[in-house]
Amino acid sequence: MADKETVIGVETRISGEIRGEEDLVVKGRVDGKIHLSHALTVEKGAIVQADVDVRNLVISGTLVGNIVASESVRLLATARVVGDLAAPRVIMDAGAAYRGRVDMGDIEAARAAVASRSVAKPVASSASTAKASTATNRPAPPRVAPTPKTAAFAAKVAPRFVAPSASDRSAESAPAAPPAFPRVAGSVGSAAPAWAKKKIRRR
Amino acid sequence: MAKEKETKPMGNTVIGSSIVVDGEISGEEPITILGTVKGKVAVAQGVVVEAGATVEADIEGQTVTVSGKVTGNVTAREKLELRPESKMVGNAKAPRIVVADGASFKGNVDMDV
Repeated sequence: MADKETVIGVETRISGEIRGEEDLVVKGRVDGKIHLSHALTVEKGAIVQADVDVRNLVISGTLVGNIVASESVRLLATARVVGDLAAPRVIMDAGAAYRGRVDMGDIEAARAAVASRSVAKPVASSASTAKASTATNRPAPPRVAPTPKTAAFAAKVAPRFVAPSASDRSAESAPAAPPAFPRVAGSVGSAAPAWAKKKIRRR
Repeated sequence: MAKEKETKPMGNTVIGSSIVVDGEISGEEPITILGTVKGKVAVAQGVVVEAGATVEADIEGQTVTVSGKVTGNVTAREKLELRPESKMVGNAKAPRIVVADGASFKGNVDMDV
Protein backbone atom coordinates (compact mmCIF):
# COMPACT_ATOMS: atom_id res chain seq x y z
CA MET A 1 0.00 0.00 0.00
CA ALA A 2 1.17 3.43 -0.78
CA ASP A 3 0.47 4.77 2.67
CA LYS A 4 3.85 6.24 3.51
CA GLU A 5 3.68 8.95 0.97
CA THR A 6 0.95 11.29 -0.07
CA VAL A 7 0.71 12.13 -3.72
CA ILE A 8 -1.36 14.79 -5.39
CA GLY A 9 -1.62 13.45 -8.91
CA VAL A 10 -1.10 15.32 -12.14
CA GLU A 11 -4.80 15.75 -12.81
CA THR A 12 -5.76 16.62 -9.27
CA ARG A 13 -6.27 20.00 -7.74
CA ILE A 14 -6.64 20.82 -4.08
CA SER A 15 -7.70 24.19 -2.88
CA GLY A 16 -7.50 24.60 0.84
CA GLU A 17 -5.14 23.52 3.51
CA ILE A 18 -3.00 20.42 3.71
CA ARG A 19 -1.45 19.42 7.03
CA GLY A 20 0.29 16.26 8.06
CA GLU A 21 3.20 14.24 9.37
CA GLU A 22 4.40 12.56 6.23
CA ASP A 23 6.05 13.25 2.91
CA LEU A 24 3.98 14.93 0.29
CA VAL A 25 4.56 14.89 -3.44
CA VAL A 26 2.65 17.34 -5.57
CA LYS A 27 2.42 16.56 -9.26
CA GLY A 28 -0.79 18.44 -9.84
CA ARG A 29 -1.97 21.64 -8.28
CA VAL A 30 -2.43 22.93 -4.76
CA ASP A 31 -3.83 26.32 -3.82
CA GLY A 32 -3.90 27.39 -0.21
CA LYS A 33 -1.56 26.27 2.52
CA ILE A 34 0.77 23.36 3.12
CA HIS A 35 2.03 22.59 6.60
CA LEU A 36 4.08 19.42 7.02
CA SER A 37 6.54 18.09 9.54
CA HIS A 38 8.19 16.18 6.69
CA ALA A 39 9.31 16.81 3.15
CA LEU A 40 7.42 18.42 0.32
CA THR A 41 8.32 17.73 -3.28
CA VAL A 42 6.88 19.89 -6.01
CA GLU A 43 7.41 17.93 -9.17
CA LYS A 44 8.07 19.29 -12.61
CA GLY A 45 4.80 20.49 -14.11
CA ALA A 46 3.17 20.91 -10.72
CA ILE A 47 1.79 24.23 -9.62
CA VAL A 48 1.65 25.18 -5.98
CA GLN A 49 0.17 28.50 -5.04
CA ALA A 50 0.46 28.30 -1.31
CA ASP A 51 2.29 29.33 1.79
CA VAL A 52 4.51 26.43 2.63
CA ASP A 53 5.83 25.44 6.03
CA VAL A 54 7.76 22.17 5.90
CA ARG A 55 11.01 20.56 6.98
CA ASN A 56 12.56 19.90 3.58
CA LEU A 57 11.40 21.28 0.29
CA VAL A 58 12.45 20.22 -3.18
CA ILE A 59 11.03 22.15 -6.09
CA SER A 60 11.20 21.29 -9.77
CA GLY A 61 7.85 22.80 -10.62
CA THR A 62 6.24 26.14 -10.01
CA LEU A 63 5.65 27.55 -6.56
CA VAL A 64 4.15 30.89 -5.70
CA GLY A 65 4.00 31.72 -2.02
CA ASN A 66 6.08 32.23 1.04
CA ILE A 67 8.30 29.37 2.06
CA VAL A 68 9.49 28.41 5.51
CA ALA A 69 11.60 25.28 5.78
CA SER A 70 13.11 24.16 9.06
CA GLU A 71 15.92 22.27 7.28
CA SER A 72 16.48 22.92 3.62
CA VAL A 73 15.09 24.21 0.38
CA ARG A 74 16.33 23.04 -2.97
CA LEU A 75 15.40 24.63 -6.27
CA LEU A 76 16.17 22.31 -9.13
CA ALA A 77 16.90 23.50 -12.63
CA THR A 78 13.28 23.54 -13.77
CA ALA A 79 11.98 25.32 -10.67
CA ARG A 80 10.05 28.57 -10.98
CA VAL A 81 9.55 30.17 -7.61
CA VAL A 82 8.16 33.50 -6.49
CA GLY A 83 7.96 34.33 -2.81
CA ASP A 84 10.03 34.88 0.28
CA LEU A 85 12.13 32.01 1.42
CA ALA A 86 13.35 31.25 4.93
CA ALA A 87 15.51 28.21 5.55
CA PRO A 88 18.90 27.48 7.11
CA ARG A 89 20.01 25.72 3.95
CA VAL A 90 19.11 26.94 0.50
CA ILE A 91 20.33 25.22 -2.63
CA MET A 92 19.65 26.61 -6.08
CA ASP A 93 20.61 24.66 -9.14
CA ALA A 94 21.63 26.37 -12.34
CA GLY A 95 18.55 27.19 -14.36
CA ALA A 96 16.25 27.72 -11.42
CA ALA A 97 14.20 30.90 -11.57
CA TYR A 98 13.46 32.66 -8.34
CA ARG A 99 12.19 36.01 -7.21
CA GLY A 100 11.89 36.94 -3.58
CA ARG A 101 13.82 37.42 -0.40
CA VAL A 102 16.04 34.77 1.09
CA ASP A 103 16.56 34.47 4.81
CA MET A 104 19.01 31.84 5.97
CA GLY A 105 18.71 32.89 9.58
CA ASP A 106 21.81 32.90 11.78
CA ILE A 107 24.28 35.32 10.18
CA GLU A 108 27.25 34.23 12.35
CA ALA A 109 26.88 30.66 11.16
CA ALA A 110 26.71 31.81 7.57
CA ARG A 111 29.84 33.97 7.96
CA ALA A 112 31.77 31.08 9.42
CA ALA A 113 30.72 28.91 6.52
CA VAL A 114 31.88 31.53 4.00
CA ALA A 115 35.21 31.96 5.77
CA SER A 116 35.87 28.24 5.80
CA ARG A 117 35.11 28.09 2.10
CA SER A 118 37.59 30.86 1.24
CA VAL A 119 40.25 28.94 3.11
CA ALA A 120 39.41 25.68 1.46
CA LYS A 121 39.72 27.04 -2.09
CA PRO A 122 43.50 27.64 -2.26
CA VAL A 123 44.12 24.10 -1.06
CA ALA A 124 42.07 22.72 -3.90
CA SER A 125 43.74 24.95 -6.51
CA SER A 126 47.24 24.05 -5.41
CA ALA A 127 46.36 20.39 -5.77
CA SER A 128 45.01 20.90 -9.27
CA THR A 129 47.96 23.02 -10.40
CA ALA A 130 50.35 20.44 -9.08
CA LYS A 131 48.75 17.99 -11.47
CA ALA A 132 48.88 20.50 -14.30
CA SER A 133 52.58 21.13 -13.82
CA THR A 134 53.36 17.50 -14.38
CA ALA A 135 51.30 17.36 -17.54
CA THR A 136 52.56 20.45 -19.40
CA ASN A 137 55.49 22.73 -18.85
CA ARG A 138 54.26 25.95 -20.33
CA PRO A 139 51.17 26.94 -18.41
CA ALA A 140 52.41 25.41 -15.21
CA PRO A 141 54.87 28.00 -13.85
CA PRO A 142 52.62 31.05 -13.85
CA ARG A 143 49.76 29.11 -12.33
CA VAL A 144 51.82 27.36 -9.72
CA ALA A 145 53.77 30.38 -8.60
CA PRO A 146 51.01 31.99 -6.52
CA THR A 147 50.32 28.85 -4.52
CA PRO A 148 52.95 29.43 -1.81
CA LYS A 149 51.40 32.85 -1.25
CA THR A 150 47.88 31.56 -1.06
CA ALA A 151 48.93 28.67 1.13
CA ALA A 152 50.62 31.09 3.49
CA PHE A 153 47.60 33.34 3.34
CA ALA A 154 45.34 30.42 4.15
CA ALA A 155 47.54 29.51 7.12
CA LYS A 156 47.38 33.09 8.34
CA VAL A 157 43.69 33.51 7.82
CA ALA A 158 42.54 30.13 9.04
CA PRO A 159 43.00 30.61 12.79
CA ARG A 160 41.40 34.02 12.67
CA PHE A 161 38.16 33.20 10.91
CA VAL A 162 37.40 29.61 11.63
CA ALA A 163 38.32 29.12 15.21
CA PRO A 164 36.95 25.60 15.82
CA SER A 165 38.01 24.02 12.56
CA ALA A 166 41.27 25.94 12.13
CA SER A 167 43.41 23.03 13.21
CA ASP A 168 41.64 20.75 10.77
CA ARG A 169 42.04 23.18 7.91
CA SER A 170 45.72 23.85 8.45
CA ALA A 171 46.28 20.14 8.94
CA GLU A 172 44.60 19.57 5.60
CA SER A 173 46.51 22.25 3.75
CA ALA A 174 49.87 21.29 5.20
CA PRO A 175 50.15 17.85 3.63
CA ALA A 176 48.51 19.05 0.42
CA ALA A 177 50.96 21.89 -0.15
CA PRO A 178 54.41 20.27 0.27
CA PRO A 179 54.14 17.94 -2.72
CA ALA A 180 53.49 21.02 -4.83
CA PHE A 181 56.57 22.93 -3.66
CA PRO A 182 59.35 20.64 -4.92
CA ARG A 183 57.79 20.58 -8.37
CA VAL A 184 57.38 24.32 -8.33
CA ALA A 185 60.98 24.79 -7.30
CA GLY A 186 62.10 22.49 -10.10
CA SER A 187 60.09 24.11 -12.86
CA VAL A 188 60.03 27.77 -11.91
CA GLY A 189 63.36 28.18 -10.15
CA SER A 190 65.69 26.76 -12.78
CA ALA A 191 63.95 26.04 -16.06
CA ALA A 192 61.37 28.77 -16.47
CA PRO A 193 62.91 32.17 -15.98
CA ALA A 194 62.06 35.32 -17.89
CA TRP A 195 58.79 34.59 -19.71
CA ALA A 196 57.28 33.01 -16.67
CA LYS A 197 58.10 35.97 -14.48
CA LYS A 198 56.64 38.34 -17.04
CA LYS A 199 53.41 36.48 -16.97
CA ILE A 200 53.29 36.60 -13.24
CA ARG A 201 53.81 40.34 -13.22
CA ARG A 202 51.14 40.83 -15.82
CA ARG A 203 48.71 39.11 -13.54
CA MET B 1 -15.28 -5.17 -9.85
CA ALA B 2 -12.66 -7.32 -8.20
CA LYS B 3 -10.18 -5.77 -10.56
CA GLU B 4 -11.14 -2.36 -9.33
CA LYS B 5 -10.38 -3.31 -5.75
CA GLU B 6 -6.93 -4.44 -6.74
CA THR B 7 -6.11 -1.25 -8.52
CA LYS B 8 -7.19 1.13 -5.83
CA PRO B 9 -3.78 1.65 -4.21
CA MET B 10 -2.53 2.60 -7.65
CA GLY B 11 -4.70 5.69 -7.52
CA ASN B 12 -2.65 8.55 -8.83
CA THR B 13 -3.59 10.76 -5.94
CA VAL B 14 -3.12 9.47 -2.44
CA ILE B 15 -3.94 11.32 0.74
CA GLY B 16 -1.81 9.59 3.35
CA SER B 17 -2.96 8.50 6.77
CA SER B 18 -1.44 11.40 8.68
CA ILE B 19 -2.54 14.06 6.24
CA VAL B 20 -5.39 16.44 6.83
CA VAL B 21 -6.82 18.26 3.84
CA ASP B 22 -9.15 21.11 4.59
CA GLY B 23 -10.67 22.36 1.39
CA GLU B 24 -11.64 21.12 -2.00
CA ILE B 25 -10.13 18.30 -3.98
CA SER B 26 -10.98 18.12 -7.64
CA GLY B 27 -9.47 16.33 -10.56
CA GLU B 28 -9.63 13.91 -13.42
CA GLU B 29 -7.95 10.93 -11.86
CA PRO B 30 -8.61 8.33 -9.19
CA ILE B 31 -8.03 9.29 -5.60
CA THR B 32 -7.34 7.19 -2.53
CA ILE B 33 -7.92 8.69 0.88
CA LEU B 34 -6.26 7.22 3.94
CA GLY B 35 -6.20 10.37 6.01
CA THR B 36 -8.68 13.10 6.74
CA VAL B 37 -10.46 15.29 4.23
CA LYS B 38 -12.82 18.08 5.09
CA GLY B 39 -14.65 20.12 2.52
CA LYS B 40 -15.40 18.65 -0.85
CA VAL B 41 -14.13 15.90 -3.08
CA ALA B 42 -15.14 15.99 -6.72
CA VAL B 43 -13.26 13.87 -9.21
CA ALA B 44 -14.03 12.37 -12.58
CA GLN B 45 -12.92 8.89 -11.59
CA GLY B 46 -12.95 6.58 -8.62
CA VAL B 47 -12.80 7.68 -5.03
CA VAL B 48 -11.64 5.21 -2.41
CA VAL B 49 -12.02 6.00 1.26
CA GLU B 50 -9.81 3.46 2.97
CA ALA B 51 -10.27 1.96 6.40
CA GLY B 52 -9.07 4.44 8.99
CA ALA B 53 -9.78 7.41 6.78
CA THR B 54 -12.19 10.15 7.78
CA VAL B 55 -14.00 12.21 5.22
CA GLU B 56 -16.20 15.05 6.30
CA ALA B 57 -17.08 16.17 2.85
CA ASP B 58 -19.41 15.80 -0.04
CA ILE B 59 -18.00 13.25 -2.42
CA GLU B 60 -18.56 13.10 -6.14
CA GLY B 61 -17.01 10.48 -8.37
CA GLN B 62 -17.47 7.80 -10.98
CA THR B 63 -17.31 5.04 -8.41
CA VAL B 64 -17.09 5.63 -4.69
CA THR B 65 -15.82 2.89 -2.41
CA VAL B 66 -16.00 3.45 1.32
CA SER B 67 -14.16 1.38 3.90
CA GLY B 68 -13.62 4.21 6.36
CA LYS B 69 -15.85 6.88 7.74
CA VAL B 70 -17.77 9.36 5.62
CA THR B 71 -19.91 12.22 6.79
CA GLY B 72 -21.48 13.99 3.85
CA ASN B 73 -23.44 13.48 0.72
CA VAL B 74 -22.05 11.00 -1.75
CA THR B 75 -22.82 11.08 -5.44
CA ALA B 76 -21.48 8.32 -7.62
CA ARG B 77 -22.14 8.40 -11.33
CA GLU B 78 -21.71 4.66 -11.58
CA LYS B 79 -21.61 2.89 -8.25
CA LEU B 80 -21.38 3.41 -4.54
CA GLU B 81 -20.00 0.65 -2.41
CA LEU B 82 -20.10 0.57 1.36
CA ARG B 83 -17.70 -2.06 2.63
CA PRO B 84 -18.25 -4.11 5.78
CA GLU B 85 -16.23 -1.91 8.11
CA SER B 86 -17.49 1.38 6.71
CA LYS B 87 -19.51 4.07 8.41
CA MET B 88 -21.48 6.60 6.50
CA VAL B 89 -23.79 9.42 7.47
CA GLY B 90 -25.30 11.37 4.61
CA ASN B 91 -27.31 11.01 1.48
CA ALA B 92 -26.27 8.53 -1.13
CA LYS B 93 -26.99 9.02 -4.80
CA ALA B 94 -25.94 6.47 -7.37
CA PRO B 95 -27.50 4.20 -9.98
CA ARG B 96 -26.03 1.19 -8.20
CA ILE B 97 -25.43 0.96 -4.50
CA VAL B 98 -23.83 -1.92 -2.65
CA VAL B 99 -24.08 -2.05 1.10
CA ALA B 100 -22.05 -4.87 2.57
CA ASP B 101 -23.00 -6.79 5.67
CA GLY B 102 -21.51 -4.90 8.63
CA ALA B 103 -21.58 -1.47 7.05
CA SER B 104 -23.34 1.23 8.98
CA PHE B 105 -25.27 3.83 7.08
CA LYS B 106 -27.63 6.61 7.90
CA GLY B 107 -29.19 8.78 5.25
CA ASN B 108 -31.32 8.87 2.17
CA VAL B 109 -30.77 6.68 -0.81
CA ASP B 110 -31.48 7.91 -4.30
CA MET B 111 -31.01 5.39 -7.10
CA ASP B 112 -32.71 7.50 -9.71
CA VAL B 113 -35.83 5.35 -10.05
